[in-house]
Amino acid sequence: MQKILVLVFIPIFLFGQLKPVENLQKNAPRVWTLTNAMIHTSPGDFIKSGSIVIRNGKIEAVGRYIKSPKDSYEIDMQRAHIYAGFLETWLETKSYDSKSKSKRKHWDSKVRPDYRAVDNIEVKDKALKELRSLGFTTAHIAPDQGIFRGQTGVISLSDQLNSINSSVAQAIDFKYRAKKNREYPRSLLGVIAHIRQTFYDSDWYLKAQEIVQEYPSENEPISSNSSLESLGLSRALNKPFVFISSNENSSSRAINIVKEFNLSPWILGSGYEYRVLDYFDEVKPFFIMPINFPAKPNITKPMSDLQFSTRELKHWDMAPDNLFYLTNSEFDFSITSHGLKKKNDFRKNLQRIIERGLNKDIVLAALTTQPAEALGLEESFGKIAKGYNANLVVVDGDYFDHKSKVVSVWIDGEEIFISSKKGPSFLGTWSLKYKGTAYDLEIKDLLKGQTSIATNKIYSGTISYQGRKTDLYNIDIYESSISFSVDGASLDQKGTLTFNGDLTDSQIIGTGKGLSQESSPFQADRKNKDVEKDSNLEPASKLSVFKPEGTYGLIKKHQKPNAILINDATLWTCGPKGTLAEWDILFVDGKIEQVAPDITVPQGSAILIEGAGKHVTPGLIDCHSHSAASSINEGTQYITSEVRMRDVLDPTDINIYRQLGGGLTTANVLHGSANPIGGQNAVIKLRWGSNTNQLLFKNAPEGIKFALGENVKQANWGGTNRYPQTRMGVEQVMRDAFRAALDYKHANDNYMRNAKYQRTKIPPRRDLELDAIVEILEGERLVHCHSYRQDEIIMLTRVAEDFGFKIATFQHVLEGYKVADRLAEHGAGASTFSDWWQYKYEVIDAIPYNGSMMVKSNVLVSFNSDDDELARRLNTEAAKAIQYGNLDPNEALKLVTINPAKQLKIDKYVGSLEPKKDADFVIWDGEPLSIYSKVEETWIDGIRYYSQKDNKLLEERDAELRSNIIQKILSTKGPSTFSSSKKSSSMHSGHKCDILDNTGVYDD
Amino acid sequence: MMIKIIFTFFLFSLGVSNDQIPGEEQKRPIILKGGILHTVSTDVFEGYDILFSKGKIVRIEKNIMASPETDVYDVFGKHIIPGYIAPITRIGLVEIGLVKQTRDFAERGSFNPNVKANVSYNPDSDLIPITRSNGVLVVNSVPAGGRISGQSSVMMLDGWTWERATLKHPSGLHINWPSMRINYGANVKKSEKQQKEEIQKSIRDLDHMVRDVRAYFQRIKQRSRIAGERQKSDLRLESMIPFVVEKKKIFIHADEARQIKSAVEWAKKNDLKIIIVGGSDSWRLTDLLVKNNIPVVIDQVEKIPTRRFEPIHLPYKLPFLLKQAGVQFCLNTIIGYPNDGNIRNLPNEAMRAAAYGLDKSEALRSITLSTAEILGVDDMIGSLDIGKDATFFISETPPMEMNPKILMAFIQGNEVDLNNHQKMLYKKYQEKYRRQGQLNQ
Repeated sequence: MQKILVLVFIPIFLFGQLKPVENLQKNAPRVWTLTNAMIHTSPGDFIKSGSIVIRNGKIEAVGRYIKSPKDSYEIDMQRAHIYAGFLETWLETKSYDSKSKSKRKHWDSKVRPDYRAVDNIEVKDKALKELRSLGFTTAHIAPDQGIFRGQTGVISLSDQLNSINSSVAQAIDFKYRAKKNREYPRSLLGVIAHIRQTFYDSDWYLKAQEIVQEYPSENEPISSNSSLESLGLSRALNKPFVFISSNENSSSRAINIVKEFNLSPWILGSGYEYRVLDYFDEVKPFFIMPINFPAKPNITKPMSDLQFSTRELKHWDMAPDNLFYLTNSEFDFSITSHGLKKKNDFRKNLQRIIERGLNKDIVLAALTTQPAEALGLEESFGKIAKGYNANLVVVDGDYFDHKSKVVSVWIDGEEIFISSKKGPSFLGTWSLKYKGTAYDLEIKDLLKGQTSIATNKIYSGTISYQGRKTDLYNIDIYESSISFSVDGASLDQKGTLTFNGDLTDSQIIGTGKGLSQESSPFQADRKNKDVEKDSNLEPASKLSVFKPEGTYGLIKKHQKPNAILINDATLWTCGPKGTLAEWDILFVDGKIEQVAPDITVPQGSAILIEGAGKHVTPGLIDCHSHSAASSINEGTQYITSEVRMRDVLDPTDINIYRQLGGGLTTANVLHGSANPIGGQNAVIKLRWGSNTNQLLFKNAPEGIKFALGENVKQANWGGTNRYPQTRMGVEQVMRDAFRAALDYKHANDNYMRNAKYQRTKIPPRRDLELDAIVEILEGERLVHCHSYRQDEIIMLTRVAEDFGFKIATFQHVLEGYKVADRLAEHGAGASTFSDWWQYKYEVIDAIPYNGSMMVKSNVLVSFNSDDDELARRLNTEAAKAIQYGNLDPNEALKLVTINPAKQLKIDKYVGSLEPKKDADFVIWDGEPLSIYSKVEETWIDGIRYYSQKDNKLLEERDAELRSNIIQKILSTKGPSTFSSSKKSSSMHSGHKCDILDNTGVYDD
Repeated sequence: MMIKIIFTFFLFSLGVSNDQIPGEEQKRPIILKGGILHTVSTDVFEGYDILFSKGKIVRIEKNIMASPETDVYDVFGKHIIPGYIAPITRIGLVEIGLVKQTRDFAERGSFNPNVKANVSYNPDSDLIPITRSNGVLVVNSVPAGGRISGQSSVMMLDGWTWERATLKHPSGLHINWPSMRINYGANVKKSEKQQKEEIQKSIRDLDHMVRDVRAYFQRIKQRSRIAGERQKSDLRLESMIPFVVEKKKIFIHADEARQIKSAVEWAKKNDLKIIIVGGSDSWRLTDLLVKNNIPVVIDQVEKIPTRRFEPIHLPYKLPFLLKQAGVQFCLNTIIGYPNDGNIRNLPNEAMRAAAYGLDKSEALRSITLSTAEILGVDDMIGSLDIGKDATFFISETPPMEMNPKILMAFIQGNEVDLNNHQKMLYKKYQEKYRRQGQLNQ
């Protein structure tokens, strides 16, 4: 292993000299002294008029009073600004060839930790020119595709693209371009599981290799795998892992992986970091930050603003302050031009960042010293100092004034010309004297306001004589010379007059030629300089960050009172006490303390809520939800028990807040129903404004989604041949999975029991998929099974019984009423819809009496939503069990409180108003089962997450905020082509999980 | 014996047609005595009698004397409520959302003004008895898809054939307004300009269509004697004559503000009579709608806001907002997979609206008389008025109350069967558990 290490670190560009000489020898001198320059030696330090001595690609000396060595040639820099060459920290280059499949590599061609970007460098001439024109002399390159994209490297941006470091970091992306329709993984869920499994595989592989080498006679050799080996090596060497993030949620996903595998994290920023700075506190990643700010939303037409959500509009205003936020939180970052559609915007955007208040030195550091340090090049890159590489940027003014020009860059001591210095300005009015007559000359810039660094200016001009104005034509300005023509008649001259002159200070001197073709001298003195006024500085956004961003977001965290007392309310306890009129309930420290007819507490020690006329219920619980998740189905394989909903939670989902408004406090966020054994579910509390991980219901047991019937046999969409295609096959798939899990468990147990094995044998490979299934068999993972027909319901209870475990809930279970006796006997819960039917063949016998009928047959029944909207009126869904089947109102309410709590095995904590349980409750202004009652307040853990009063205030706040931003956008000049947002749609459709990772799989 | 026969009958049914027998034509006049009459058109009359004969309401008075040939039902203290009307449904046109063989609501192509809903209405659909057992007695069955989906028909939820079940045809032409949304997503290939041009083209196409219909009409009116000059037939254009020339109602399906505005402008320019269906954003354009006298069919009250930044209860409040602004409106449940079976929840939509500002009486009106007016059938149904159809139901509970108990229903005077497939299955399996002694009632 040590040998490989050394090899990796040998700088490769020495080899350049090994090549045989072609043609004649080329040996231009490589010793220079650059004098009379404004030298920015490092961020915050500069030498006003200094010199730099360059020898053989290295800086030999730098300073104010330096004698240039005798053998060096001096170049007068004419007061130009010189910066250390910038490091481009993210440049995407070619990936591995996804078609090449080698047995020595990972089975999935999207997993290529062994691939090195430097081995296949290809930078297009145009891109190279653009980068240099921005001042970049070195680049950190990364493969552009894949999940494990491979190893990044550092190259010099000289024509040879020399490699400086061939392995810097591993790049990991959560997205990739799927080649085939059914290729695993297809969803974010699957990608994250895949990443985790790959890490475990590389651990296992290294260990296994070690043991095989040590005990060759005890073990079968395992085939070598360079992908896993490279990944293991990167971890052993503590190399950084760059996570490519696309929004605030992907940051949190990256951090979770970083923590699980103890990685040293880098993040390629999404621009949304300012929203979730607290995510990064623990692991302090290094950020590579693009500055592709969103363009101005196009909202000038009436009502066109409606398609932009407030958070999109806010992001337009706040995105340029992102780096300011990162700086304030003391995170290290570099700035990259990656992601900019027009590279010209790079310096403009830098200027905007600086105008908005970020220190110029910090920006410079983010282009030089910060990336140099991160890339381990701080000894020779990022500064202008003795011994550093002679990588320089020469600018004819301040680099951070985007109008000044990058004249040249020096890479490894060689100058590469970029553009001519900005010539003197001819703009303004002049007094022109020609053949003894004085005229007024005016030169204007036609494209004023639109000129950018690269475009050539186009000029117009007039000449006035005796009150007559005549247009100039053929105006040509090159550096300090000008030529133009004018019709002589207007100047009382014959023919066309052509003038040629040169500008010195404030005088143009040259010759004019008329019809005679005889040159006569002219002279023009400047009268007025047309000063290009700097537009007003752009101020930083005045908006504050909401959590989550957008309407109804919080500015600060909710307060948690010590105690809350509600008196004289009707308490629907959903416990043994039933419903109690005019009782009191006391909550202390986020728990229910006491339920009694009369509770008194010392004045001021508790928040007092007058409960007269009000009803209090436990927080409602939805046993089947797909809200607050960014990905629902990994439908490519028939078993995907390795994927976890907890990995893809989305705390910014507005439906969390909407559902709080309907009294919901807990939800069982389930994987979709595309496969017989789906993903692991996540039970969450609707803690609006919290981080991803804080959504999780800590004490809830783990669970998993199963599915039966039409969806898993893929009956409702064409063109798939995945096994199984019948309900017969579904049963076999289940049995097969449990058998495999038993074999796996047996192998593991065997290994763990035998100390000698542990020393001398290859350990069983950890398989996340089988781990989850073993947990089911051990009764540690609850099964929630999507089901409709009675045959399949009975089937699964029998299979479960054969393997010695119980099904926790059948979901939907619309024919549950036909086999209620079997459900009760098995002990499975039933989580059903109140009255859904008709939408597919397997629900042909769905009846709205299903719920009440199962209740009466001693089945533990809950009503669920499976829908963003239904989830906010589960109380009236429960009431339908009264309409259909005449259930007692107390029993009906239990369908959405204590019963789902029992099904999820969280009834110790929630589901009823009983002492010691969590203070999750809802205050209603009338009977909770009535459609005419409204939620007044919703509390979770003793914190008020929703109240009618607050809701009104938030609506007013957000309406005002929105109209202010819209005003600001409308009053901001400049073009608008909005095109940055990933979630471009602010239109929502909340129907039955119809956004399912393009698998076309419905879950209902 | 009788029970047994019925039992066998439904065991053999495959669920593709329902088992309820259509009501018998009203032969004898009926008096319902002493009920609480929710007329909707005027007041609630308590303790009144209602006499209906040959399917029509004849008298509403106190103490009507019954002639010998009249049947008299004592409905003292019971509520008589006009049948609820669902304005946009696919009843009869689809049986099971995901089974292609049962879908008859969307013809191929984008231009289908000529297809008619009622001709493919399956009077034995299971949705019919299930929907009507909650008091929804009349629906408008509507074709879907494409730019112009076809012509809708108002159908009574009972009858042996579609011809008998048709109350009115056509009730309207259905146009799906082009989306006016510019997609700015990162992966969008078309430029903003291209997208705008496409939108303009779609609207221009609709303008040209109106022009073509008028030209076609003019030509077929002027019968030319020259054989070669005779206008050749075009079913599509011909089918639109009632809507373009006679100005029958055109239902424009549009939710977004820009769509609604553009549809109204189009109707004004072409002098057409339109109704907005969907109308999520209609509250933003109430002035325009009132000024041009354009009603709105609100598609679903119980839904989430269209946009993230909108008030969370906005859809619940929409009916109230329209009422306040003076816009004519009625309520609907949403159609399309997987919602087509939920029309029976129409009263819930009205109650939800009533919970958010709308008067209960107005909420009731918004699923009865208002709907009849918008569908142009208020001369026949929608309220309890003399001369109108005897299409109403008798309920133990007042309207706009949860857990309704509906006792009897009449459609054009025919008493309809309130039983359905689901109730029968309920009974069947109650029997299973009764036999096991398990049913803990």
